[in-house]
Amino acid sequence: MHADLRHSQKPAAPAQVKRRVLRIRGTDVTLLEQVRQMAEADLGFEIQHESLDFLTCQHRAAMDPSNYDIYEQCFHNLDIVWYWGALQPIDTRRILQWDKIGDLAKTGGISKYTWQGHGDAPVRKLYVQPDGTLGQQPMPLISMLPTAHNVDSFGFDRRLFGDEGPEGSSWAWLLDRRARGRIALVDEPAIGIYDVALAAESNGDLTFEDIGNMTVDEIDSLMALLETLRQQGFFVGSWVSPDQAEALVRADRVSVQSMWSPSYGNLGHMQGVFCESVPREGYRAWHGGASLARHLSGSQLDIAYEYLNWWLSGPAGAVMARQGHYMTNADGVREYLSPEEWGYWYEGEIARCDLKGPDGRIVVRAGRRRAGGAYRERVSRIALWNTVMDEYNYAARAWNRFITSLGASGQ
Amino acid sequence: MTAKPKSLEQEPLYETISRVLRYNIVSGRLPDGFVLIEGPIAKLMQTSRAPVQASLRMLNAEGLIHRFRGRGYLVGQPSANLKPIRKPLEDFDFDIPPASRSALAVRGTWLRVYDKVEAEIAACQIFGEFRVVETELANHLGVSRTVARDVLSRLNERGLIRKGATSHWLAGPLTARTLREKFELRGFMEPEALRMATDFIDYSQINRICQQIESGKAKDAAELEDALMRYCLRKAPNSTLVEIIDNNRLLLSAMDKALSDLGLPVDTVALDQYGALFHLIGSRQTSASTEYLKEHLRILSYKSLARLKIVALIPESESIPKYLNRV
Repeated sequence: MHADLRHSQKPAAPAQVKRRVLRIRGTDVTLLEQVRQMAEADLGFEIQHESLDFLTCQHRAAMDPSNYDIYEQCFHNLDIVWYWGALQPIDTRRILQWDKIGDLAKTGGISKYTWQGHGDAPVRKLYVQPDGTLGQQPMPLISMLPTAHNVDSFGFDRRLFGDEGPEGSSWAWLLDRRARGRIALVDEPAIGIYDVALAAESNGDLTFEDIGNMTVDEIDSLMALLETLRQQGFFVGSWVSPDQAEALVRADRVSVQSMWSPSYGNLGHMQGVFCESVPREGYRAWHGGASLARHLSGSQLDIAYEYLNWWLSGPAGAVMARQGHYMTNADGVREYLSPEEWGYWYEGEIARCDLKGPDGRIVVRAGRRRAGGAYRERVSRIALWNTVMDEYNYAARAWNRFITSLGASGQ
Repeated sequence: MTAKPKSLEQEPLYETISRVLRYNIVSGRLPDGFVLIEGPIAKLMQTSRAPVQASLRMLNAEGLIHRFRGRGYLVGQPSANLKPIRKPLEDFDFDIPPASRSALAVRGTWLRVYDKVEAEIAACQIFGEFRVVETELANHLGVSRTVARDVLSRLNERGLIRKGATSHWLAGPLTARTLREKFELRGFMEPEALRMATDFIDYSQINRICQQIESGKAKDAAELEDALMRYCLRKAPNSTLVEIIDNNRLLLSAMDKALSDLGLPVDTVALDQYGALFHLIGSRQTSASTEYLKEHLRILSYKSLARLKIVALIPESESIPKYLNRV
């Protein structure tokens, strides 16, 4: 007994509780530190982020499926990982707010009268069909939980192009001779190719039978056109991450370039000079989401579902909104935004005060109105989706050779 | 040392083949009316087809064999009551004399290296278009240029490489278009071959395969695809069709192999589908099995297209042998 008493004066060893950890592999589009901290606080288990560039992320998600639990990426490159057998279907009966997810992801458009857009509209990859393939026939099992999404265009210098006017700008500006020597493109093949394809079709240089699924000949023509333009000194270079795109603008080295929503808030003195376009041909859209790794089961699968449900609950969507992205459950997001924020980002209203981005810096000045207007206006004008087309292997290799040659002659 | 007389190993290959065929005809081992077809002869002699063609033309000119209305040549002189005998060469007492055998063995070196080269050239095509350099290939394999040429001529016969405008050998690229076209061909030909094969299939063999699948012993879809080819489609009584099917599959199997080497996990849905397919074949439900095969090929085509996309993420330098130059 004495011995026991002596022992009892020592501090008790901490209980052996197995730490619960959920590992997320994705890109910096959704893997924001602020989101991670909020999720940890709300869910009570540890969340680890592994943020990779687009291509590395797909590669590792497919080839190394045991080292993550949740895969956060886009619908357009889901094929690659899904048909590699790295993921398991999500049972929508375990997604509490499934019914609140909007029709853009579920049926392809916000109304049945809107055009779905060319290419990998998320609905075409959403439902797991009985034969294990992905398709748009609604099923209780899905491949990826649709979350953040947006419509992209390009950025332009209004000192060169002037204001857009009532007709809007045109994708043709992205390959406009007036901007020769001051054009930059995003290097990601499933995105960059479409920016220039839209431009080449808009200015009449090329036509595509189905721009969302180009043929080998069409790809060859597009690459030949780009090579000619490169030799004529059209391009200043390419960018990999949005901060590189922002740096090009701030250094006043570009007049027009591929650009994504969050960047428009980070242009410093060029804000108001370098503008987000509203192309008359329509937007290039993308849709993000979260998928379950194949190996998940039991309690680990349970916390993965908790995390998926948390994504739809609102706080994450509010962070996404502050950098310009939309969430599938907009009603949930609204509760976590100020009325001014909601009005500007979702309703297309004039900002009634300065608005802050996810990191607390001011990204929108009072008095500004979002280019393209409200959510419904913007997403009803989708020309095409980011796409991993059938000839992706061929196209991406040709595109990468082009991007490499830009590096040699450009920056 | 005195100069050796010209050895059999140095004579043109078609001469050696002619010598062997002539010997078997003159000695009566091959009866009059026997149908000589290039493919089986090339296989038995372990050569490509071109020299067999040349030697058949030679024997035809010699009057030992003659053309007829069917494919190939008939042994003997043309006569009204000569009935074509279509049987495998192995069914006769076909003999290759030792001297010719050793000459063929040396020339057959290419067969020993062929499979490896075939696999490499088929696999590279997912990465784009390549020029095959004959001298580099010979160095790579440690064989003569003649052997390298034999290998290339066989690859050409099987549709894996082609001559470009500047008469270089070219391979690839395997695009989605190629893939789609090959699957489309499969959809036309394979269900038809299966239908034609109905009366020639060994059903006890099919039942054994069904049992293996049911007991979980068959774990590889590629293996079952091979079994379908070997035990069903190849039984179709149209050797030209079977050969086209075989060649058409070559690049697709190579892609599957390349992807599985990259770590593509087993496709359990495909395994189940093969189970259902063999079950239908085994129970002689001909229409149902051909329809099922069609549907199976449609799904396979779709999945293969998706899987080809991941190749875009793999750097090509990892797996391309030196004798292949990017175009």
